[in-house]
Amino acid sequence: MSADDWHVADDDLRAYADGAARPPWLWSAEAHLGTCPHCRRRLARCLGPAVVHAGWARLDAELDAPRPGPAEALLVRLGVAAHTARLLACTPGLRRSWLAAVGFTLAVTTGAAHLGRSMTVPIPLLAIAPLLPLIGVAISFGPRVDPSHELAVVAPLHTFRLLMLRCASVLAATTALTGVASVAVPESGAVALGWLAPSLALTLLSLALMPRLGPVTAPVAVGSGWLALLGATVQRATGESVLFTAPGQAGLAAGAAVAALALWKARSAFDTTHHLGRVADPSTRRTM
Amino acid sequence: MTTLRAEGLSLRFGRTTALEDVTFALDDGVTGLLGPNGAGKTTLLRIMATAIPPDSGHLRVLGADPRGAAGRLAIRRRLGYLPQSPGFHQHFTAFEFVDYIAILKEIVDGRHAEVRRVLHAVGLDDQRGKKIKALSGGMRQRVGLAAALLGDPALVILDEPTVGLDPEQRLRFRELIALIGEGRTVLLSTHQTEDVASVCRHVIVLDQGRIRFEGDPVALAGVARGRVWTGPARADGALAAWRTGNGDYHNIGDPPLGARLADPGIEDGYLMLIAAGPAGRAA
Repeated sequence: MSADDWHVADDDLRAYADGAARPPWLWSAEAHLGTCPHCRRRLARCLGPAVVHAGWARLDAELDAPRPGPAEALLVRLGVAAHTARLLACTPGLRRSWLAAVGFTLAVTTGAAHLGRSMTVPIPLLAIAPLLPLIGVAISFGPRVDPSHELAVVAPLHTFRLLMLRCASVLAATTALTGVASVAVPESGAVALGWLAPSLALTLLSLALMPRLGPVTAPVAVGSGWLALLGATVQRATGESVLFTAPGQAGLAAGAAVAALALWKARSAFDTTHHLGRVADPSTRRTM
Repeated sequence: MTTLRAEGLSLRFGRTTALEDVTFALDDGVTGLLGPNGAGKTTLLRIMATAIPPDSGHLRVLGADPRGAAGRLAIRRRLGYLPQSPGFHQHFTAFEFVDYIAILKEIVDGRHAEVRRVLHAVGLDDQRGKKIKALSGGMRQRVGLAAALLGDPALVILDEPTVGLDPEQRLRFRELIALIGEGRTVLLSTHQTEDVASVCRHVIVLDQGRIRFEGDPVALAGVARGRVWTGPARADGALAAWRTGNGDYHNIGDPPLGARLADPGIEDGYLMLIAAGPAGRAA
């Protein structure tokens, strides 16, 4: 039967326009409308010009809509709102090049743990892994690394929320990768997860210090402090350190909690570029 | 209706005074902010846009006080801002970038339709799928302007949007700014006195962090009335002088007796103000 042999009845067309048509008749009508200009014109009359225009506008807008990448699509499938997924997907610390660098670093530290079997603690992994989210957050927020930082600051979306979203995504990605690396470390048991508490503590402390020290100095100072602390506590022969004992881990977790509290109290400082700007905003220094 | 009122704004960066006792008000229409490099224009615009707070002074923007978080939020919901260096994510298309800013502006319902609307308003219908790194400087400025127009803001702040554009692009941008200024308040920072003459109904001249002039473009030109003359040679002691196309010299300053006085333009008034220095003897 060709499209010219029959046309959708008026009542059925109105039901279709009202959204009241049900399968399988709905499928049949839809297939026919796709091939029959006469019925499409009648349908347009049923709907009225405003609805037709709005439908075209919606279709046009969807055709232009950005196509989500794999990470963004995964986030949406996991239940994250589409607009939040888009904000997360724009995080520089989630770019493939950065994630590849993290993967390479973890592979090297895990390899080093295999070579240094005389050590009871996989110190290369435990020393370096906490620095990865610290660096990831540092390259995801601030006037030097986010090209539209100033636009983000003066937008209604609270800058602190944007910062937290980006931190959460960087922490999640690096935690997943480091978790895999921990499993690959030989015969270390739970101590191979000793990077988790310092990762949180260093990242949160760096963010809490950012309004005072700026977006570059704060992570550099915190990272240097971490390496100095390791240098002072690690026993060279075994790789053991008080930091990776139960009391040490509890201390680091407490430090993370204090840093989180300090960050929450300082959250309004992220609402303008005032502190960041005086320290680091290039546009402030270039021209007044 | 007054959209913005600033009283006694001051700001220092270390030992440098960026702004000192700046007081002015903005109404509907396009206001031009003129001044040399380092005058404090960008700092002033960043304060207006709630990016930085002043050290002292009072500011009300769209009826709200930006000192509190609630006031800043109320302002930001009705503000469009194009910074001097907007900073684009180069791998985004024009549509994707404006869409990203729309999310930051918390436009959820009909977001894509709104992105299309603003891209159409700045004449980028055919370029919306192009990567930003493939667009010309003028096109990128349009993308930035489209982002500033999201949500139909009541106040639009544009920081030197015509810098680096060729003459045709500048003309087209001026046309756009004039259109945007219909029914809303636009604050346009620029080095170009022609921009001010073309589209602004109000002008503020800022120099060394202080307001040197506030009024309409005709009044700015009037600052140089009786101080502009033409002659066959560059006059000694002229504040500024240049040879014109017909071979005569256009001189600005204190004219000699019997000088052939000419009608001043905005550029003459501006040069008089700036050349006279902070003492403001020309004003």
